[in-house]
Amino acid sequence: MSVFLEVEQIDKVFSLPGGGNYIALKGVELTVRQGEFVSLIGHSGCGKSTLLNIVAGLDRPSTGRVALAGRPVLGPGPDRMVVFQNYSLLPWLTVRENIALAVDEVYTDKSKKEREEIVRSHIQLVGLTPAADKKPAQLSGGMKQRVAIARALSIRPELLLLDEPFGALDALTRGNLQEQLMRICEETGATCMMVTHDVDEALLLSDRIVMLTNGPQSRIGQILEVPFERPRTRLEVVNHPNYYSLRSEMLYFLGQQKRIKQLRSRQKGPIARHGLEKVNLEVGYLPLTACAPLVVAKEKGFFNRHGLEEVTLVREPSWRAVVDGVAGGYIDAAQMPAGMPLWFTLGGHEDKPLPVVTSLTLSRNGNAVTLGKKFLDLGVFSQADLKAYLQRTARDRHTFGLVHPASMHNLLLRHWLATGGIHPDRDVDLTTLPPAQMIANLKVGNIDGFCIGEPWNIRAAAEGIGFTVATDLEIWPGHPGKVLGVREDWAQTYPNTHLALIKALIQACLYCAEEANAEEIRGLLCRDEYLGADPAYVQLGEGESNTCALGKDRLQYAHHLFAGAGVNRPSRTEQLWILTQMARWGDVPFPRNWVEVIERVCRVQAFSTASRELGLEVDYRRGPIRLADGTPFDADDPLGYLKALEIKSDVYIAEVPLPASLAAR
Amino acid sequence: MTTTLEGRRQSPVQQLVAALPDAKSLQKLAAPVVAIGVFLLLWQLLTLSPDATLPGPAKVVSETWGLIVDPFFRGSGTNQGLFWQIAASLQRVALGFSLAAAVGIVVGILIGANALIYSALDPLFQVLRTIPPLAWLPISLAAIQQSEPAAIFVIFITAIWPVIINTAVGVQQIPQDYNNVARVLQLSRPKYFFKVLLPAALPYIFTGLKIGIGLSWLAIVAAEMLIGGVGIGFFIWDAYNSAKVSEIVLALVYVGLVGLLLDKLVGFIGRLVAPTER
Amino acid sequence: MIANSVPLEPLLAIRNVSKSFATPNGPYTVLEDVNLAVRQGEFVCVIGHSGCGKTTLLNMVAGFTTPSSGEVLLRSKPIARPGPDRMVVFQGYALLPWLSAFENIYLAVDAVWPTKSRSEKTTIVQTNLARVGLSDAAEKKPAQLSGGMKQRVAIARALSIQPEVLILDEPFGALDAITKEELQEQLLQIWNTSRATVLMITHDIDEALFLADRLVMMTNGPAAHIGEVMTIPFARPRNRTRIMEDPRYYDLRNHALDFLYRRFAHQSD
Repeated sequence: MSVFLEVEQIDKVFSLPGGGNYIALKGVELTVRQGEFVSLIGHSGCGKSTLLNIVAGLDRPSTGRVALAGRPVLGPGPDRMVVFQNYSLLPWLTVRENIALAVDEVYTDKSKKEREEIVRSHIQLVGLTPAADKKPAQLSGGMKQRVAIARALSIRPELLLLDEPFGALDALTRGNLQEQLMRICEETGATCMMVTHDVDEALLLSDRIVMLTNGPQSRIGQILEVPFERPRTRLEVVNHPNYYSLRSEMLYFLGQQKRIKQLRSRQKGPIARHGLEKVNLEVGYLPLTACAPLVVAKEKGFFNRHGLEEVTLVREPSWRAVVDGVAGGYIDAAQMPAGMPLWFTLGGHEDKPLPVVTSLTLSRNGNAVTLGKKFLDLGVFSQADLKAYLQRTARDRHTFGLVHPASMHNLLLRHWLATGGIHPDRDVDLTTLPPAQMIANLKVGNIDGFCIGEPWNIRAAAEGIGFTVATDLEIWPGHPGKVLGVREDWAQTYPNTHLALIKALIQACLYCAEEANAEEIRGLLCRDEYLGADPAYVQLGEGESNTCALGKDRLQYAHHLFAGAGVNRPSRTEQLWILTQMARWGDVPFPRNWVEVIERVCRVQAFSTASRELGLEVDYRRGPIRLADGTPFDADDPLGYLKALEIKSDVYIAEVPLPASLAAR
Repeated sequence: MTTTLEGRRQSPVQQLVAALPDAKSLQKLAAPVVAIGVFLLLWQLLTLSPDATLPGPAKVVSETWGLIVDPFFRGSGTNQGLFWQIAASLQRVALGFSLAAAVGIVVGILIGANALIYSALDPLFQVLRTIPPLAWLPISLAAIQQSEPAAIFVIFITAIWPVIINTAVGVQQIPQDYNNVARVLQLSRPKYFFKVLLPAALPYIFTGLKIGIGLSWLAIVAAEMLIGGVGIGFFIWDAYNSAKVSEIVLALVYVGLVGLLLDKLVGFIGRLVAPTER
Repeated sequence: MIANSVPLEPLLAIRNVSKSFATPNGPYTVLEDVNLAVRQGEFVCVIGHSGCGKTTLLNMVAGFTTPSSGEVLLRSKPIARPGPDRMVVFQGYALLPWLSAFENIYLAVDAVWPTKSRSEKTTIVQTNLARVGLSDAAEKKPAQLSGGMKQRVAIARALSIQPEVLILDEPFGALDAITKEELQEQLLQIWNTSRATVLMITHDIDEALFLADRLVMMTNGPAAHIGEVMTIPFARPRNRTRIMEDPRYYDLRNHALDFLYRRFAHQSD
């Protein structure tokens, strides 16, 4: 559809009374199609109302331009009606008269009879026929707002602008009016732009949600497409498989804005001590069993022992948040899925290559594929069973959840499916969800299964929601799970700190691998500030497991590996396999300069130095990767391996120019 | 913005410009001055014709120059400077208005707090408050038989109605929330009166007082015309009888200014006593 | 968590309560046959569309009105009038604008414990201001405080007189999303230490799910009654993130949405 409203490079600067300027909006660019419903959301003071007023013509942008259907917007006009939060009805006129006032003003060429008919039909549209002759004072807030909407629509504006239209109403009245507004918009096909701070309201009504960053210099941080089919009803919408993931996406954005604001206010520079460039570190992690080394390093004093006296562990809600934290420089280091450093380096984040390095593998194994309980009843216990089921039900949508495109879970799940002859992009849908929401989505049937780290597989089984169909043992036993990742420029700015961090975590990993410590670590992990989980769901390296308690054949559980021969050393071969898999599914091109890329990401040297300084023996053995399906992986010929794979997306090969490293500059 | 940078001194003109208030506040200041100027000019123009019945501003000033420069003149009888005339009027207002305020607030609170009394008395008050001040004069003269107390009674009876009515409304308008808080806490009566009722009603009481003082001033000028003696009202009447139109005009200016000052004074006290705006 | 001394008799009992008002068109029944028992230390939220009589219900517990039939009992004694044992936090804050935050609370403390010494009362006020994190704003008048701060003063005032039942009438309805979440967390924190019995009206399902032990869902008026009581099983102390991770959260939320928007959808508004 053609562009209807264009907002081009808007800046808005207010001059302050005490001199100086306040930049409210900076470089806002937005296009709206005819008939589209767009919401603007953000914290108070993010300039969303300012933007709406500029579109309405009530305010002028400092620079940039707004055009409606090709005509520049220079002032307010009846083609862009605004509905304000405070209704703005004339109290001495009845409902009918209030609307007639607008209609008579605009439709001067129509006969009195026609105009009366327009007024009548719009009162009917908002269901206020019985109250047509009442004055605003006799109406409830919700009814008044309906009059305001009817008035706005009666003059057939090309664009309906709503400034927090339901903000003054209680939550439930608001809900009812939202459904009415939605119905009216669907009936009239009006193009709408609405300012709101209500996440549920935006999701129910919008085709797209424009999220603004905090001021000053607010800009569009993210635009969310809302894929629900129309006509919508509230209950259908909230029961839609994607509802809560979209909702959490918005909550995440808003939460992130709040957090950035807090960080800005307490930003402090690096504190150098003990010959380390920085001892105040913020280390991001996700509440998974695999975060044990970080928790142990903090709680058992390994950070302190290596001089890192002010380490804060930052519990992130999703890998996405880790990505934002690393890219934005808000966190120093993070627990990352093994593929994330490569993904960053190759431009996975916003298509901008950002070199991230890893010098330590924190854990291996600990992932599994869980299927919903209904598959147990259907007797689906292998890829072959699943494939047969998918073929039987080819008309239905089958969705699997994963936590991040760069995660091992994504690659392992895809590999597992492909091994069974299931094309992960054609035969099923894959959707990204925060770990915490997997089980909830599986329970209500929004997804059929997922691949995720513990404790979520165990928890799904323990709560009777799903069962483990494959563990690491069925895919790639001993695969790297989580790694320590830092930005390359960070590692070069704080080399001694980086080394101290690696040393502390190696010792923590060793501690975690001691079976005697399992009970203590479980206790630490389950504390509220970390996993906050039931200890029964947290399995470390120890014995018998109940992972697959629901399955008739109990699968052997692939224990987390935190230390041991070759466990912690970063491996170029493994990174290369990860690279081939990312390229296999078209996430990144296969870089012609892959040797350079792997060298940049995989910093074995730092690991070796750290181990030597700790007096540990480094295991330099190299071997081929042994995947469960028996496919050999030859590190010397990754392209040959890629070519030989039957199921894959469009693989493309390209030179990926990496940004120059700090050391080279 | 106005700080001078060392080594780059501003020219005197620049300093002067910087010291001036900015254009907006200058405009705000200039507007009424211009308006008064235009008014005086029009007045002067309209009274230029030889058969004008009223004097122009220039003539008023020249004819009353003696009164303007010597407001503290003391003569015999009613022949006093304008200051003393106004002071005499103000004295009557002070007495009558204070009585009206004291009685009005008490009665207002009483009837405001009791819905039954309020509904019984409200129609009566509504009728009484519409009676013009001067209409009270004959009956008060008849009852009191002395001109001075009669004049004070007129002020009292004129000013009391807005005070009563506004106070009563103020008491009734106390937000239900505040009363509910008092009920939940089971506040004692004096505590309720001083902590909730009185502060909540104060803005309304002062609205009543402001209207009352305006009416008092209105009433006294009129009453004095009839009663005689020292006072700005009789001064005007006397000037009329002696065909000194310029003196009337001058007195009117003073009456207006004093009325304005009284209004501002009550408003000022109101802000001092009840500073929070709801 | 409250198992140590649960008396058999509920602290607050609403028994067969109906309430009707006389109108020119004959009597209007707001509530009909409402039954609810609240245990000591329980946090109960009431939700329903406007006009469902939840405010009437709350007013009867507060003692502002009495039921037309049935009874409202506190510790087995009928509630006849308002009293400081059932302190209310009003939606509009109801702070006296001519008194500072400190004086507003002091007024309440002084009214309830007139015999305590001035220094004792001052200590109580200061402690409660500190509990809501407003020690620095003690001397400020309500007009100088933000909406969220005003509501915190109102909560501090309510808590300072140690009521048996704390009644909250949609306390966070007028606040923006962030302030609301902060205040909810603070309220919960304070409640965790004081464990007062709380009856709270809300329009916000998420708020109820976060705060309450039980959510009372009202049908629509006239003659509204309790449609369903939902037990909210999340362990305490609660953490918003953990609740959002709990699969039951989405079940409960959708169940409540279904009740309010389908089964008892409001038509006229």
